[in-house]
Amino acid sequence: MAAKTTQTAPAANWSYGAAAGPEGQTVSENPEWEKARQALASISKTQSATKTAQANRTTAQAGQFQPAVTESTAIQQQQQQQYYQQWYQQNQQQPYPGYTYPYNYYYPMAAGPYGGGGYPPQGQYGVPPGPYPSPTTPTGQPPSLPVMDDQSSSYPSQPQPPPPAAPQPPPQSPTSSEQPPPPPPPAIPPNSQYPLPLGQNSYNPNNPMPYPNNDPNQMRGYNQGRPSYGQSYQTQNSYQQQQNNNQHQQQGQGQYGPGAGRGEANKNKNHQQQQPQQQGQQLWHRMKQAPGAGAMKFNIPKRPYVMTNQSFPPGEQPTGLAATPSSPAAAPAAPGGAQTRPQDWPQAMKEYVQRCFTACENEEDKDRTEKGLKEVLQKRLQDGSAYTIDWDREPLPELKAKQSRWEVVPTQRTLESSVGRGGGTGGSTRGRGGGARLGHYRNVFSQRSPSSSSSGSSSRSPSPSHNRHRDRNGQRHRRSDSESQSDSSMSSDLRTQLPRRNQKGGRGRGGDRDRGRGGGERGRGRGGRGNRGRRNMDDANSTVLGKKRKGGNAGLDFHDPHREAKKQSRAARFHNTKMRSEPLVLSINNLELPKEDLSWDDCPIVGTCQEITKIYLRLTCAPDPATVRPVSVLRKSLLAVKAHWKTRQDYPYACEQMKSIRQDLTVQGVRTEFTVEVYECHARIALEKGDHAEFNQCQMQLKALYKDNPSENIGEFTAYRLLYYIFTKNSGDITTELVYLTAALRADECVSHALSLRAAWALGNFHRFFQLYRRAPRMASYLIDKFVERERMIALRALFKTFRPDLPVEYVQSSLGFLCLDSCMAFLTGLGVTFFPSDPSKIDCKTSSACLAAS
Amino acid sequence: MAHITINQYLQQVYDAIDNHEGSFCAELLSFKHPHVANPRLQLASPEEKCQQVLEVPYDEMVAAHLRCTYAVSNHDFVEAYKCQTLVVQSFLRAFQSHKEENWALPVMFAVTLDLRIFANNAEQQLLRKGKGKLGDMLEKAAEQLMGCFRVCASDNRAGIDDSKKWGMLFLINQLFKIYFKINKLHLCKPLIRAIDSSNLKDDYSMAQRVTYKYYVGRKAMFDSDYKPAEEYLSFSFQHCHRSSQRNKRMILIYLLPVKMLLGHMPNHQLLRKYDLMQFADVTKAVSEGNLLLLNEALAKHETFFIRCGIFLILEKLKIITYRNLFKKVYQLLKTHQLPLDAFLVALKMMQVEEVDIDEVQCILANLICEGHIKGYISHQHQKLVVSKANPFPLLSSSS
Repeated sequence: MAAKTTQTAPAANWSYGAAAGPEGQTVSENPEWEKARQALASISKTQSATKTAQANRTTAQAGQFQPAVTESTAIQQQQQQQYYQQWYQQNQQQPYPGYTYPYNYYYPMAAGPYGGGGYPPQGQYGVPPGPYPSPTTPTGQPPSLPVMDDQSSSYPSQPQPPPPAAPQPPPQSPTSSEQPPPPPPPAIPPNSQYPLPLGQNSYNPNNPMPYPNNDPNQMRGYNQGRPSYGQSYQTQNSYQQQQNNNQHQQQGQGQYGPGAGRGEANKNKNHQQQQPQQQGQQLWHRMKQAPGAGAMKFNIPKRPYVMTNQSFPPGEQPTGLAATPSSPAAAPAAPGGAQTRPQDWPQAMKEYVQRCFTACENEEDKDRTEKGLKEVLQKRLQDGSAYTIDWDREPLPELKAKQSRWEVVPTQRTLESSVGRGGGTGGSTRGRGGGARLGHYRNVFSQRSPSSSSSGSSSRSPSPSHNRHRDRNGQRHRRSDSESQSDSSMSSDLRTQLPRRNQKGGRGRGGDRDRGRGGGERGRGRGGRGNRGRRNMDDANSTVLGKKRKGGNAGLDFHDPHREAKKQSRAARFHNTKMRSEPLVLSINNLELPKEDLSWDDCPIVGTCQEITKIYLRLTCAPDPATVRPVSVLRKSLLAVKAHWKTRQDYPYACEQMKSIRQDLTVQGVRTEFTVEVYECHARIALEKGDHAEFNQCQMQLKALYKDNPSENIGEFTAYRLLYYIFTKNSGDITTELVYLTAALRADECVSHALSLRAAWALGNFHRFFQLYRRAPRMASYLIDKFVERERMIALRALFKTFRPDLPVEYVQSSLGFLCLDSCMAFLTGLGVTFFPSDPSKIDCKTSSACLAAS
Repeated sequence: MAHITINQYLQQVYDAIDNHEGSFCAELLSFKHPHVANPRLQLASPEEKCQQVLEVPYDEMVAAHLRCTYAVSNHDFVEAYKCQTLVVQSFLRAFQSHKEENWALPVMFAVTLDLRIFANNAEQQLLRKGKGKLGDMLEKAAEQLMGCFRVCASDNRAGIDDSKKWGMLFLINQLFKIYFKINKLHLCKPLIRAIDSSNLKDDYSMAQRVTYKYYVGRKAMFDSDYKPAEEYLSFSFQHCHRSSQRNKRMILIYLLPVKMLLGHMPNHQLLRKYDLMQFADVTKAVSEGNLLLLNEALAKHETFFIRCGIFLILEKLKIITYRNLFKKVYQLLKTHQLPLDAFLVALKMMQVEEVDIDEVQCILANLICEGHIKGYISHQHQKLVVSKANPFPLLSSSS
């Protein structure tokens, strides 16, 4: 983050108003999503203030914006400016501002819809208006038009669309003094109020006021307006506007925020005068927007101002100068406010962003995407369309296009910068340039905006959608107004911005008034240019200064390429080194210890089932106590199974019952002598029936159980284990077993027998082996049975190879542990052993070894 | 290096990675390097620092490593093992992304080695607390190593010089160590096959080859393939670095029984040099055919032999001892028709308990069957009839 901030800071200084954000983002460019997030965050930060405020979220902004919107027509920009101005000046023009606010709010609501309708009035702006309308319409219209209709309809009927009112009114509603905190809800009340103030007309009057006040804002509007005018970029303009608006808004907010000292004071005054609610909103703005939006946005708008300023009287310039000092303050504030929340973004949009990034093939693509997305999303978020757009269907930005943008952008910037230097025309050019940029976005945008407008109203809950629409409209208006600002912001270097901020700050007090009056006049008289007036105010303060500023801008512009180069180098650096965007968290604790996984001891269960017998079913879910038998019942069960086994020898039944007993014990975490008894019992039964798989299970469990519950049968089952290892010929396990044999265990009858047997087995001493086999204690012989045949074969092979000429069957019988001659004969004949015809009791070893080898 | 700061350390790591200095990077991540004792690096939560300096997979790797040093300094090997697992995992992520380059192999060696060691320590620590089951930790570690192994073994595109296959043998050796420890020798088979089919098998570093042959030899010994076992273990012993006395001794522990089974008795000097005098009596008993002494010797050092896992092998020396004993009987009687009673007397002299004439026949049958004695038993006459030419062939030539 530190890196980010630092980066952003420099960026700001540099003028990349828009770029600044991206740069910061670039810094963060790590994981795609993170990038996106950051980018968005940066956007959101800047916007967030605006958005949140503007959009339904931060009603406060909306309030401001809204007023702008109401005025939106030509005034929109002015209004915005005015709002700002109002905020500043409001003290003076309390009534107006208050009204305006409501209006604005309403308007914005409607304004979105008005887009077209509302704009017409803007057309009034005069010269700029002409272009404006078109631009506005294009920008706002495509999306707004549909909305506008709706809104417009609502408008006439209800100048203050109730829906918007809800969100917006609160802030706006003067009455809502209470509302300030709950600005959004109060919306309705404002409506009521609105009617009173009514606004549009009232607004107009107000407008003038605001203009002067807002001069800076107006300036912004100007710039915005111009671009739209001059160019067919309308759509682009709209984008720009939106951006601009966002920026403006942000800026405005930011200004306030940064200006905090002044701006806030002004605001406060304004708010107080105008509406307590507004104050609340403003406060909000300060809190959130000011910080976030502050630095970034401010910077951006200022530039445009500068541009426009040229036309303006020098008088304002001083303010601008004054503003510069404030800028620093603003900047610091900005960071805090910058923290808009990506969380606020619609999920669909987040996913869209994700998709965009996942579509990227390389870092460059990501960068482009990031930048593109930033701008687009900013706009979207600002105008609220982000919430209505069907992001799922939104086409992904084309990487190529982005690339082109990239390429273009720099040129544009330079152009813009040059334009900015040029002056008013420059503003237009900028607008174009911005439009071009926007153009990239256009695709997305245009598509989005219409969809947003249409879908927004229909798809989502009416009230919110309305609000959104209004907001959007308001935003749009603002956009149109702000476009210039945004453009300027885009082009303007952070540095320039900073000074402007300072100027604003300076103006904040002294300048505002001037603006409020003078600017207002200008705004009216000039209409769209009223904005200019504002800017002019700033700029105007001194044309010379403006020039200087311009020069500064130019310098900045000149710097721009460098900056870009730097940017790119930076980006490259970061591309190369993928930094982690999210904080690194060592998920060490997530690594489960192999042995510490689920243990039945962790969740003890006490069964309640009283059935003596139970069918064994493999557990597939958490055990139900109702089907689990407690130990007391299990004891009876064990006895019953034993009895059943003794009388019936029904192994399948016994095995199942034993397994179900074992399961119940396991489930209840019972590991006592009784458990040992159960396992021993089952092991023996399994042994008796030669079920060595089941036996081994029990035997393994017993090995573990014996650690805690030594039983007198340890020796027996240790011996079984050894024998079992012999059966499996696992010399490794035998060795391990030997390691743990204590002297006491070795002395055990069973164990010593097993050890002797093992030794005999290892040396092939079958004579001894079978002697031991016949003396096997307890149930060992059952186990040995498992491999007796195997050993007999080996032994026979050795005997046949060794004895000449004959081998008496008797010897075989005694050596290989046959109990009787018959069984031995059966075994031998089964192998196809040949006997001497003369003496059937003697084996013909030579011929027999052949048949053994064959078998 | 001593007591550098975290930033210096991270910068070194960064540079090492940046410059593809595998060995240096490996040092910086190895617990054989003194930096792990640097208290400035033993951080409980180094994530942020690492994140600031290093790229994505590496920051996690180094952070986990530093956390691991912290855990080790607290003697918490379970935690250390977890950290090291993370180190290996994040390394593997980076390693996989290294296309056609293998500079990071030394790093892999370092982190996987430490992983195994910590798994071992963690297991001991858990067992001491009465928790966990023998081998579980090591098995988990083996899974990690297998993950690395798969990456290495599947690197078929890179040229021979840049191939990750150069890391296979090291990993196999680590896996062998685990498998031998947890008695899962059957898991070695596919690994051995992988090396057998590798065209690099004779080009790996001698150290790795010595280790590999040592384990393959041991495995062959347990599989009763004494001839190849002798071959592998001899190679290992002969090529083991002369300064690695401890390793040479370990090799000898397995090479001696195999050699003895094949009839090659070690001399005193060798046993003394490598402090393996436990074998002295065994050697003496076997060569003398002194069954009694052999039993005593085995009983005396049973613990040692069992711990080395060679008790069962040494037990088989009894067969050789029988042969030598019976050869003495033959030499005393100076006839080709040896009464079985003579052998019974000899065995009883060696205090073999409960021995009877049937058992004598049994023992003789085994010796004849295995080719230690050329001859046959006439059950009717109760005699062993031995070949007139070379009735007791040299052990080394038999079978």
